[in-house]
Amino acid sequence: MANKKKPVVAARSGPSIAMIIGIVVVVLFAAAVGFGVYRSQAAASGPAAVPANATAEGVPVGQASARATIDIYLDFQCPVCREYEQQSGATIDQMVASGQAKVVYHPIAILDRYSTTQYSSRASAASGCAAAAGVFPQYVKLLYANQPPENGDGLPAAQLVSLGQQAGATGSNFATCVTDTTYKAWTASLTDQSSKAGVNGTPTVKVNGQVVDNTDAALRAAVAAAQ
Amino acid sequence: MTPDTPGNPGPAAGDSSTMTAVESPRAQVLPWLSTLARLVLGGVWIAAGVAKITDLEASVRAVRAYALLPEPIVQIVGPGLPPAEILLGVLLVLGVGVRVSAAISTVLMAAFVVGIASAWVRGLSIDCGCFGSGGALAPGATPTYGWELARDGGLLVLALFLIRWPVGRWALDSVLTRKDPT
Repeated sequence: MANKKKPVVAARSGPSIAMIIGIVVVVLFAAAVGFGVYRSQAAASGPAAVPANATAEGVPVGQASARATIDIYLDFQCPVCREYEQQSGATIDQMVASGQAKVVYHPIAILDRYSTTQYSSRASAASGCAAAAGVFPQYVKLLYANQPPENGDGLPAAQLVSLGQQAGATGSNFATCVTDTTYKAWTASLTDQSSKAGVNGTPTVKVNGQVVDNTDAALRAAVAAAQ
Repeated sequence: MTPDTPGNPGPAAGDSSTMTAVESPRAQVLPWLSTLARLVLGGVWIAAGVAKITDLEASVRAVRAYALLPEPIVQIVGPGLPPAEILLGVLLVLGVGVRVSAAISTVLMAAFVVGIASAWVRGLSIDCGCFGSGGALAPGATPTYGWELARDGGLLVLALFLIRWPVGRWALDSVLTRKDPT
């Protein structure tokens, strides 16, 4: 038997040029489809509507002349953010009241996968409605106090509305704003900006642009240094 | 380039990847190992792609979190990876173009390993984003670079194995290329 013929079979068993090109083209095409979908989604959402009393960067609270700016990146589904609020909320309120610091809240949505209803995004959009109604700080505290457990269904829209009313948002505009997730694109924009700013977890706290540890002492030291 | 691939007995006899008429024990086992490698690697690709494809913005954030690529490239790689991963997974599971798919997998896995290692070295505090976290760590979690590197390193070895021994059982390749009368 002609054993010499084996190498010929071996050569043929390798991928043909057509196979190589075909697979590479198909994989690149799949990637191109993903890119196309991403771009068309971005184009479809258009420029985000910004709530009254808020900016495209977040929700500012306090006097514009304050020397220290505290940026707080938070996700309403994030238990550590709730703990941070319990730990340092009073400190921050006092710094704002005394004019030492102003706060920019960035309610981002990076934990949507921890609820079945994209609670992070819905709660953030609802907080935009609360900003428009002028009750953002109170609403944040209520959202934390009623934070749903991870991997659950999140709070239903009706409860997001009733918590806003509890915070002092009167009128039917607020309810419509929450149920229509009017500020969904604002939330997406805040989230994208935070990623570009290098924020990869919540809570992230910055004082005048520098990340500080999530302790009360670190916050106080950084704000004091800025005076 | 012969990393820890199992069963490589000394000087390879030219055409050991093709079916030899006499079935040595090794010739019986190898095709099944290839099949197993294909199913594992392909299955992970599909799982990773499916986890990410419903939230392409998160995929962009995950790539951006590594702070390695310029922003325009981030916006191509981020949304491009999930569908490419799913396709690679399907090709591998079906056994179509195994050697080419394995070669592409090798390039991607090597890139992931480099990315994760560099994030570790630079002391970044991120999740690898492999399965749709958007690069953000779970609340209160610390990075698990060691485990992520071990996993992707293992998958890299599987991909290299498939480049060397692409022919396995249950592969459409063997149907598509059945011209030789063996």
